[in-house]
Amino acid sequence: MATVTTVNVKLSRSNRIYRSSEPVEGKIVIKSATSISHQPIRLSVNGSVNLQVRGGSAGVIESFYGVIKPIQIVKKTIEVRSSGKIPPGTTEIPFSLNLREPGESIVEKFYETFHGTNINIQYLLTADIPRGYLHKPLSATMEFIIESGRVDLPERPIPPEMVIFYITQDTQRHPLLPEIKTGGFRVTGKLATQCSLQDPLSGELTVEASSVPITSIDIHLLRVESIIVGERIVTETSLIQSTQIADGDVCRNMSLPIYVLLPRLLMCPSVFAGPFSVEFKVCITISFKSKLAKAQPKSDPTAPRLWMALERLPLELVRTKRDQFSC
Amino acid sequence: MELEFRRRDYGATHESQFLPRSEALKHPLSSIFASRQQQAKTVRGSDLDFFDPLRGLDVNASAEEKVEDTSISIEAVTQDLIKEWKSLKRVLMQRFPVSKLILYFTQSTVEAPSALSHSEETGSEQTSLEEPAKIINQQEYIAKVHELREGIKCAWQAEDRVTSLKLSIKVTKLLMDTTVLQFYPTVFVIVTDMLDMLGDMVWERIKQKAELDVDGTVICSLLKRLAITGFAKLVLFENFSLACKTSINYYFLILPTFLCLSFGFSLYAHSYLELAIMPCWRFLINQPMEVLDRLVMMVRGLADPLASLYCRLYMVHRMQKFGFCNSGYLIKCIKDIEDVLAPVLVDKEGYSYITDDKKLLFSLMEPAIEYIVKCLFLTGRQENNVLSMLEELGFGRNKFQSSCNSSHVSILLHHLLKELPSELVISLTTEILDMIKCSNDCSFSQVLNYRLLGNKLSEGKSQEGFLSSLIDEVIQAASQYQSLYDYLRIMDAYVDLMLQNKMENHLDALLDDIVNLARDKFLCEEEQASLQSIILKLLAHFENLQEVLPLNHFIEILDLMSGTSKSSVNMHLLNMGTRNGCICDSTTVQFLFEVSQALYDATDFVHIKDDDNRQTSHLISRFVEMVDYGAEMERHLMFLAECREAFNGIHELKETLVRSSNTLAVKALKAGKKHTNFVKSCLAFSEVTIPSISSPTKHLNLYLETAEVALLGGLISHSDGLVMSAVEYLENVAVTDGLKLIDVDSMASVVCKLCSLLVMVPGNPEKGVMEILKSIFSATCSSSWATPRLKVKIFCAIMSLLSTLSQDNLPYHSANPEIIGNDLLFFGDSSYKQELVSCSQFVLSELLDAIEQESSQIARGNMAIEACNCISLALVVLFLPSFAYFLIPDKLKVVLTWVGDMFDDVQMNEKVTELCLRLLETAKGCLGANDRYIESTKKSLQL
Repeated sequence: MATVTTVNVKLSRSNRIYRSSEPVEGKIVIKSATSISHQPIRLSVNGSVNLQVRGGSAGVIESFYGVIKPIQIVKKTIEVRSSGKIPPGTTEIPFSLNLREPGESIVEKFYETFHGTNINIQYLLTADIPRGYLHKPLSATMEFIIESGRVDLPERPIPPEMVIFYITQDTQRHPLLPEIKTGGFRVTGKLATQCSLQDPLSGELTVEASSVPITSIDIHLLRVESIIVGERIVTETSLIQSTQIADGDVCRNMSLPIYVLLPRLLMCPSVFAGPFSVEFKVCITISFKSKLAKAQPKSDPTAPRLWMALERLPLELVRTKRDQFSC
Repeated sequence: MELEFRRRDYGATHESQFLPRSEALKHPLSSIFASRQQQAKTVRGSDLDFFDPLRGLDVNASAEEKVEDTSISIEAVTQDLIKEWKSLKRVLMQRFPVSKLILYFTQSTVEAPSALSHSEETGSEQTSLEEPAKIINQQEYIAKVHELREGIKCAWQAEDRVTSLKLSIKVTKLLMDTTVLQFYPTVFVIVTDMLDMLGDMVWERIKQKAELDVDGTVICSLLKRLAITGFAKLVLFENFSLACKTSINYYFLILPTFLCLSFGFSLYAHSYLELAIMPCWRFLINQPMEVLDRLVMMVRGLADPLASLYCRLYMVHRMQKFGFCNSGYLIKCIKDIEDVLAPVLVDKEGYSYITDDKKLLFSLMEPAIEYIVKCLFLTGRQENNVLSMLEELGFGRNKFQSSCNSSHVSILLHHLLKELPSELVISLTTEILDMIKCSNDCSFSQVLNYRLLGNKLSEGKSQEGFLSSLIDEVIQAASQYQSLYDYLRIMDAYVDLMLQNKMENHLDALLDDIVNLARDKFLCEEEQASLQSIILKLLAHFENLQEVLPLNHFIEILDLMSGTSKSSVNMHLLNMGTRNGCICDSTTVQFLFEVSQALYDATDFVHIKDDDNRQTSHLISRFVEMVDYGAEMERHLMFLAECREAFNGIHELKETLVRSSNTLAVKALKAGKKHTNFVKSCLAFSEVTIPSISSPTKHLNLYLETAEVALLGGLISHSDGLVMSAVEYLENVAVTDGLKLIDVDSMASVVCKLCSLLVMVPGNPEKGVMEILKSIFSATCSSSWATPRLKVKIFCAIMSLLSTLSQDNLPYHSANPEIIGNDLLFFGDSSYKQELVSCSQFVLSELLDAIEQESSQIARGNMAIEACNCISLALVVLFLPSFAYFLIPDKLKVVLTWVGDMFDDVQMNEKVTELCLRLLETAKGCLGANDRYIESTKKSLQL
């Protein structure tokens, strides 16, 4: 269609990651077959924390109300071009937008981009081309990603804090099958509980003994989102990712590596803000051979079961200097 | 009288046509050899790589090669291993063929790619579980996997990388299923092929992203950029944004980049995929040691022994392919394999036993282990640290430390040993022996390990003193088995060592043990085979049969054997006995005769005719030929008679028998007159034996040969009888029509030979001088087997014979002075000459008829010239001036009568001349005027 006009926002970085101290740069690309006359072209940036309560520990009424008022982080509009005419063909309008002026006081901290179940931290860039009353205004939206750009970020945690854990029949708080309970088992290992976002979650695990054959050992990453709703705190724990590290009855006394790459968009540095917080946990599950396990349909793999041993460890995610992406 | 024989002066002809002879300085063949060698030397200067297999082993050259061998480049190793991998894949597919299995799988394991991408959005896991499991067989299964593979390729090319990835995860999950063990290698090969393809595609894409700018211009070559690892992060994030663009979906977000996308799935999918894309780590880190360490450890999480081993195999393959490999990882790998295998070998009570399942499992594991160990040694050699590598694996440790705790799983030990260079084996022999002693489990037979050690040791050179104690130990270990088969299998490998190092005591002990273990037992087939191998080694070592026979219990051990292995040993014995010239020793003759008899009894000569039989019969004949009793000629003849009785099924032998008896007769003749009776008995033996020979030409030849011998002995009646039997046989051949088997040419040459023999045989005035000739003639004429060509040949020969007999001096006479030739016998007898002439008239007319019968033009032409030449040699012909040939036949007669008027005697031969001309005319008509044969014939006629 010759008359169709498209508007795109193209950012200078293909990965679209910016720090709050950096200007967001790019260009608005307009492709049009005919010339377009327009009113001033504006570019606005909008960063906000969207909180939502549904399911989980929230009550019926809260979930009925659902959305809680979002927390504004940044909202800014600049004019990129005054009113005029765009010639036919492809037109590129460059722009540069400071998220934070040097003297400006910050209302809210620039949280890192995060997409969770209940909490969404999102930064959007919108270009608007109003064309008077007769024509539909043109607009385009693009999400960009914010990473913490503070100068006081820690160096890479040296040495990474390793937590040693033991999993035996006695450390389990939920009931186990009698043969597992009596036969006993012992799994030891260590895990770095403070972890840089760019690094993999690492550690190792050794099955020292188990009378009942093991079918699988998995590492689950859990996300704990908490929101203060009125007087209450609504906490939602969701599973981000499972990684199997052992399949079948592995050899005893052989150390297995724990190595989990963190899925970038589903995680962010642990946040403890006033009205909300995002934390992470690691859950190690050991499944034993049992007839019951086969009968049970698939469901939440981190729920305590008779044929499973669990260990939950907190995981603190941090952004370190090394990760700073420099282009 | 119309014909006249040409006068010949044989002596003068011989003198005029005799080529002068001069002594040569060098043997023609030896001189060529010397110059060749010189040539080879000059060639060698420029091109060292050239290796002539026929030239003797150059010691210096092999040393050079060895030096080169130790420093192999990484590329060469990689190349080698790529080849190895290919052959491994072939081996896996061949050794465990799918078609033989009739097993069924549920369909839920494989789904068509279309179905998968469709169901993915609705949550495929649930749907596939609820689906009733359809049963499919392997062919369909493989077809489905191939379909999936194509799906991956298509999706990738269509820029739909997420789908292609999901499909590959699906395929990789197939490797989880080890329920059908035999099928596993096939699945492994197919899936790893797919993964290799995927890995390469990912590598190519990242490389392309790195080398090209967004708009496709080349930024800089990859290698330069590899130094700057930052760009790889760029690639990661580029993929990340790709994921962002698509709607935010749980699955899609799990796959943010190709470097971490495989996480979050089952360990199988995850390990294999990560191994497939492992080379891509090069983009991020130059020496991805940590990654490799982790990968080696990660595979430990796979508990199934077979699956984990194959996963390691794939890991080694990928590492090798991209030059990440070093012996450290491989050693870790091998240690892990041992740990995994340990619980398989021993059950809960700590008792190691073998079941069919385990046997199958180990047979499936073997190729994989072999490959990994091969890689280890290739890498070790390339890194030049084989020794330290071995130390890490527990070789060469102090004897006190390495009791039984450092023992290896025997299947591993076997393959390690197999790859070890023999020099190292020799230096570590005692340690290895200890290790073999310790590793006695069901994964691999300990016996075979002992054997391998022996084989390795005999490859290299080792000191004698140390060897004797070693072999003592081995013998002790071997005799503990109490089973002859195991004992034989082990000792088989050490026989060479004993022989090379002249350890007679050990050899005696070995033979003693064999006899003790085998006493009162019937040996099964495998035992026979091992015993055969040992005996053959013994035989190969000794030069002479006389050295072997006195060995301890040798004959006794031979008697233990039976069946094919016995035959094989017997054949070797015979071969050995006959290769060193005549056999004079009567005990040896007796022994070999028995051996031959056993061999003969074991082979069915009557019904089966194949190469094997031919070899046997050849060997036996050769044995009979080589036997020599010296002065005891009577004994020899008796032996021949015995042989005829014992081996009457072998046709080849009869010829040998006749020849031997003829030789014997000649020997007796040479010895003096007193042996005439013995000669007669020899001739009688021959005469009796010949009729049982089936091949007509051989048959005839032997008759003639024997007749010659009789003639030599002056026994005219014998020779007459023999020649007559030959002629009768000729007639019989014609009657029985056994012509299919007869080679026409050889038949013709036999008859020619007969004719030339007849020159010497004096005619029998009582029966008619020409009697034999006439019977040959009539036999040829009446025979159905004689083709026109053959007839022409034979008639020409008869013509020549007639001409020769007509001479006053025969060209040759019998060596026996008592025999008087026809020239003296019928000197001046006109009726004799008359008979010759009339005979030749007959022959001439038949000859012309035979030429007319030939259907082929060219053949007829040639035959005509041949006959013409023969006639012109045998008879007196009038030679015309050359212009005569241009006259047409009608006018020829006029010319001839004109010439005839001038010379009186020429007129008599007018007919012969005309005949010759007619023959030439025929030839011209058939071959054309310009034929060179005709030309030369004309020339010789005109001279």
